[in-house]
Amino acid sequence: MEKNLELIEKYFSNSLTDEEQILFNNLLKDDKAFKDEFLFLKDLKKTLSHNQKKSLKTTLQNFESDLKNEKGFHLKKWLAAASIILVLGLSYFLFSDSFNNTPEKLYAEYFEPYRNVVHPVVRGENGKTIESSAFLAYENKKYHKALNLLNSVSNNNDDCFKFYSAMCYMGLNKNLDAIDLLLPIATSESNPDSDLNYNAKANWYLGLAYLNSGDINKAISQFSFVVNNPSCSFKKEEAQEILNKLK
Amino acid sequence: MYYFYFYRYIFLNFLFFFVNMTGVALHKILELLKKGDQDTLEKIYKENRNAFINFSKRYNISKDDAVDIYQDTIIALHENAVNGKINSLNSSISTYLFAIGKYKIFQLLRKNNTVDLNQKITIESTNEVLDVNLSNEKLTNRQKLISKNLEKIGSRCKEVLKLFYYQGYTLDEITVILNYSSKEVLKSQKSRCLKQLKKIIND
Repeated sequence: MEKNLELIEKYFSNSLTDEEQILFNNLLKDDKAFKDEFLFLKDLKKTLSHNQKKSLKTTLQNFESDLKNEKGFHLKKWLAAASIILVLGLSYFLFSDSFNNTPEKLYAEYFEPYRNVVHPVVRGENGKTIESSAFLAYENKKYHKALNLLNSVSNNNDDCFKFYSAMCYMGLNKNLDAIDLLLPIATSESNPDSDLNYNAKANWYLGLAYLNSGDINKAISQFSFVVNNPSCSFKKEEAQEILNKLK
Repeated sequence: MYYFYFYRYIFLNFLFFFVNMTGVALHKILELLKKGDQDTLEKIYKENRNAFINFSKRYNISKDDAVDIYQDTIIALHENAVNGKINSLNSSISTYLFAIGKYKIFQLLRKNNTVDLNQKITIESTNEVLDVNLSNEKLTNRQKLISKNLEKIGSRCKEVLKLFYYQGYTLDEITVILNYSSKEVLKSQKSRCLKQLKKIIND
């Protein structure tokens, strides 16, 4: 039997010679004990192989979930990048106020030529005097024409005419000319009792003119003056708003 | 220890590069597979996976099926490396994997009756070339009994039986692998293990 068992072992290591193979086949036919032993070992081999395949399958499934995790890792990186972009985007919208608060935009938002309170345009009487023609042009936003007419008014040194001339200049985006006219009015002694108190208004518009000319520092100090000076009763709140946005 | 893994990694990469270029070191890779080397297995698995999954798309099978078939294909490659059936492979591992995989895909399609006669002919010729035992075998009752009781005979015994009957190493080789003092010691150990196993099964 010992000899026969060696034959079986040689079978499993694929090392049977041709003669041994014949012997092996005969034993398998005739020897019951040999056959039983061989079949048992064959079953054992099959079982070992089957178990090995099962554990291999588990290993491979682990590789597969590794790959998924690696993909997940890539996904996470993309998600991280996307969320950074999202945060940047959101913060742009959240803080877009401050992005939008360029001097030009603030100016466009707040500048409005002071309304004509001097020569209310009355239908049917238009064009009778130079002054009324000037203010008619002013109301129609024809600032060049209004300026020319205002200049030809005889008593055009009045604050009133200077002020509206300055409005015309601002309407034409000629801020430096406007500043030249507004500065004397803004710094003159104010007369709170007068109905035509241009001092406070000039201070406000001076700030806007500085703003539009790009001189932010002067604009800030001008608006601060408007906010803090009790005699400046015109557009105090707006001045404060602009200051907040400029900071 | 870390250096060991590092150099091993470098070595494996060179080996695979070399194989891809020439196919010369293929037997080396098959030998590593036979030994049960996990790194080699993982590298083969991950290197060919995406190509295989893409390849399977043309047969209109689900991705889960494709992954399942790919894994069974790797298992078949492993088995054939172990039993020496592909020692003299003259194609690359990828080619071999795709051939087995294609056969397995057809097997699945045939099971689902979605394959036409022409393709059946292809299958048979493929099978001949591969010489692969691809039947989905289930364990007989006695095999199940053996499997259950293998767990009871101790890990050393199991290892000896696995190396000899599954991996097909000779007693001389196993003497070296498991560090036995002599072949005779190993031989008597092996027969004791077998007796023990039979005894548990027959009790």
